[in-house]
Amino acid sequence: MNTAVPKLSLRNVTKTFPAKGGDVNVLNKLSFDVYDQDFVSIIGPSGCGKSTVFNIIAGLLHPDEGEIRMDGEVVNGLRGKVGYMLQKDLLFPWRTVLENVVLGLEVRGTPLSESREIAMEYIYTYGLAGFEHAYPKALSGGMKQRVALIRTLIYDPQVILLDEPFSALDYQTRLYLEGVLVEAVETFKKTVILVTHDIDEAVALSKRVVVLSSRPGTVKAVHEIGLSQRTPIESRSDPRFSGYFHALCAELDIQTKVGS
Amino acid sequence: MDEVLARQSNDAEKIKRPAKFLTPQLKATASTLSIQLGMVFAFLLIWQFVVERGWISAFLAGSPAGIFSKLLEAVNNGSLWDNAKATVIEAIAGFLIGSLLGSLLGLSLWYSSFFARVVEPFIVAINSVPKIAFAPIVILWFGTGMVSKIMLATSMTFIIALIAAYEAAKNADRDLQSLMLALGSTKHQLFFKVVVPYSLPAIIATFRINIGFGLVGAVVGEFISSSHGLGHMIFTASSFYDLDTVWVGLFTLMLVGFILYYVVDRVERRLLPWKQADSGQRFRV
Ligand SMILES: Nc1ncnc2c1ncn2[C@@H]1O[C@H](COP(=O)(O)OP(=O)(O)OP(=O)(O)O)[C@@H](O)[C@H]1O
Ligand SMILES: [Mg+2]
Repeated sequence: MNTAVPKLSLRNVTKTFPAKGGDVNVLNKLSFDVYDQDFVSIIGPSGCGKSTVFNIIAGLLHPDEGEIRMDGEVVNGLRGKVGYMLQKDLLFPWRTVLENVVLGLEVRGTPLSESREIAMEYIYTYGLAGFEHAYPKALSGGMKQRVALIRTLIYDPQVILLDEPFSALDYQTRLYLEGVLVEAVETFKKTVILVTHDIDEAVALSKRVVVLSSRPGTVKAVHEIGLSQRTPIESRSDPRFSGYFHALCAELDIQTKVGS
Repeated sequence: MDEVLARQSNDAEKIKRPAKFLTPQLKATASTLSIQLGMVFAFLLIWQFVVERGWISAFLAGSPAGIFSKLLEAVNNGSLWDNAKATVIEAIAGFLIGSLLGSLLGLSLWYSSFFARVVEPFIVAINSVPKIAFAPIVILWFGTGMVSKIMLATSMTFIIALIAAYEAAKNADRDLQSLMLALGSTKHQLFFKVVVPYSLPAIIATFRINIGFGLVGAVVGEFISSSHGLGHMIFTASSFYDLDTVWVGLFTLMLVGFILYYVVDRVERRLLPWKQADSGQRFRV
């Protein structure tokens, strides 16, 4: 397997939330590695702590135990180094498309004249030309997620965290955006961690899939996906696709045969 | 590059609706306006009729004809203008000082939740006193001139603005804040890029209410002790049972409040263009 130093590694990460009627242990000694230009999907039952893992990686929450290493060094979360995309588009309603896109660079202190030019290029490439001065409420769901994606890419983060980014979209738009994502990740050589409930999506996009157990979340299995197609649609028609799909369903205890 | 930019601005142009002279909206406004004017006119006619018939005493109710002659008189000798000017200046000054200071302080409470927790009960306590009850003290402290009315109008508006701004800032979208923090934002950036813009609609909504309270502060101050202003005009006229002049003062106040409200409305449209994006869109029911 990969012998390089992982881009990002989680070691024995444990997190417990205080709650009424006893603490909730959400993550228990969670460990996994993500390599440079990796595409890792995390799947697992609802409530097993996937979003919590993301918040810990992003540096929004601190683990009770365990450590995060980036390029081999222990870090306190990746604040300022991660791109972040959720199911909600998280666009600022008071900012135009252009102003939303440059947000990350603005926070980082890049002068507007500079970021504006890059932003316009991206907006053009991703088919949003003419909407740069529109407010988010005037956009469709798919367009909003495209804006969120551009905002994430333009920020040029070390690691991109995607928490069910396409799950609120219709199937067509989702296929299209999956394609856009995979292409962008290839072009810009990004490292991606994707949380999804869609096993199909996980297989079609990732190089590896990490399966979490139900709460408290631990790594139950890691599956290497050996599909080498260029687009998520081609991946889905690979003969090996359904093998991976069924293996992951079995990991999640989903019955794939009626009456079995 | 220039060509590209030109093309983009063209695209943007296409999104806007072409301006026509008599748009449907304009027609709708004209028809509501004529109905409203008709209602006012009918009301005045009935009032005059009822008073002339003697069904209602003109002495206690005034009459439109009498109001009109008093209005002409007050306009001609300039007293109406003087009084209105005094009241408007007091109300606006108090409104601006109270609302701006209150909003700024309310927003800045976001910075320290500890400090906010410490002062919260005091804010609630002050808010629960009817501010108008301070009027006599304020007049004692600041005299019978305009300053005391400005102070009253300030005290009427300050706490309301403070509470509204603080509440709005406290409830600023958590997810947007998480995003900003993940992007590496500082507390300052979080404040200016999320908390302030998020709270602005609520703050401006309070401005609408506060413009009315500014007028209340000014007028009540004038009732208590003054030599100018619409409140003074109404108060002295009513002590002489000059109901027509009282009505002139009241209607002028109404007009002033109306205009100021409209100004705040314009300011809101200016400051919150993103709220306006779908204003033309209504559901058919
Ligand atoms: N701030 C918090 N305080 C207390 N409990 C929390 C907090 N955040 C999450 N939890 C709890 O932790 C558990 C895991 O939450 P998390 O959002 O990480 O799950 P998830 O795997 O992302 O679920 P889903 O697939 O439904 O999005 C849940 O039971 C939730 O109630
Ligand atoms: Mg989640």
